Amino acid sequence: MSQRDLVAELRAARVEAPPEVRERVRLIAAAAPDPRRRLTWRRAFVVAVPVAAAVAASIVFTRPSHHEQTATPLGRVANAPATVRTTPAGAATKELAVPSAKQRVQIVGTTLSLRTRRVSDGVKRAVRIVTSLGGYPVSVHAQTAGKEATADLTLKVPRNHVQQAMSRLAQLGTIVAENVDVQDRTASLNATDRTIARLQKRLAELRAANAPKEQIAALTRRIQALQRSEAATRRAAHYATIDLHLETPRAAAPVHRGHGPLHGIGVAFRYIGIGAAYAFAIGGPAIVLLVLVWLAVRLVRRRREEALLSR
Amino acid sequence: MTFQQAAEAHLDDVYGYLAWFTSDRFAAEDLTAVTFERALRLWHRFDPERGSARTWLCQIARTVALDHFRSERRRARREEIAAPREQVEPRFGEGLSPDLESALARLSAGEREVVALRVLLDLDAGTAARVLGISPTNCTTRLNRALRKLEEALHVAA
Repeated sequence: MSQRDLVAELRAARVEAPPEVRERVRLIAAAAPDPRRRLTWRRAFVVAVPVAAAVAASIVFTRPSHHEQTATPLGRVANAPATVRTTPAGAATKELAVPSAKQRVQIVGTTLSLRTRRVSDGVKRAVRIVTSLGGYPVSVHAQTAGKEATADLTLKVPRNHVQQAMSRLAQLGTIVAENVDVQDRTASLNATDRTIARLQKRLAELRAANAPKEQIAALTRRIQALQRSEAATRRAAHYATIDLHLETPRAAAPVHRGHGPLHGIGVAFRYIGIGAAYAFAIGGPAIVLLVLVWLAVRLVRRRREEALLSR
Repeated sequence: MTFQQAAEAHLDDVYGYLAWFTSDRFAAEDLTAVTFERALRLWHRFDPERGSARTWLCQIARTVALDHFRSERRRARREEIAAPREQVEPRFGEGLSPDLESALARLSAGEREVVALRVLLDLDAGTAARVLGISPTNCTTRLNRALRKLEEALHVAA
């Protein structure tokens, strides 16, 4: 018999399960639950991909950009030097109003920082402004280094013209920072006045009582010292001090345009790549070992299976 | 395809495969029932896109048969001293000559298995190889070797 005939005869064999087996299997199959809609990988993928894309998109588009993040700190820096009242950078037309109370004795000190391209002209004009208002410059320090120049001026202006002086000085450039400091000395001067009056009354009493000359002289010196101090305070209050700082604009810093909407995805891929590199470095040898173990187990199992089926 | 449909369509194939594999029709009857019980438990894992129900059932039947062989071997070791188990006369199906039945019985279980899959169930080499867990080339080699042995056995009988 040829191999072809042999195969034909083998294929002609009819092998049918006995009725008892058929009945058993029918009973087993009858217990099968109704077919359900199964969650396959493909279905899970079809659902998971749009969900992941939606989540990624929401993260990327709702994330505040770098430009927005840096805007607030810049504002803080501009406000930082303020002690009493300070304007933010660039508020060239809104200089601070100096509170005026002509009947009170107040020590007024202001600080004004301006940015101008022509510092030397600014110095000249500032001095002219102050002089025209009845004031005078106390000190002027100017220095130049390359394209950058700065000048620091201490100016005295009659207190009743300080508002006008500040307004005119503010027009010399762009206001970078502005500070006004007012200290009211009226109460302390009133107290000094009362003290002087009390001492003068006491002096009159001493003179009437023919007190010793030394005692009268000491009291007189004390009254004169108090009067000098009062006069000095009133003189100081007559003039307001303006510390003016002029500087050229700084070299333009490279503009950071922030990140595009895909920056988040790029960062995510970078971290995924780093993670993958670490995983490969650490997990690579472990995976190789596992594969070798798996191959060995598979080989042993196959050998045993062949031995089992060789009988 | 429901489990009932699969069971009805492939019952004879599974039984035939097990009958040839074990060369014991009584064992094949029990193993067929066990195969379908196990298949029912695992039916939720069956994916028609990865293979036909017949291939999937044959893979389960093979696992069941291997478990059977292992338990038989352990039982034989335990009962070596006791009276040997009654040998069932192999019967592989209707329409086979006694010589061919005898020749099939002389093949090893592994050889009968590959003949059952490739010839009786008419699976192609790739599908049969997947059931056996070997390469298609290895499967074809095993089939040729088994057929040659059958041929030689028939020649000797003649």
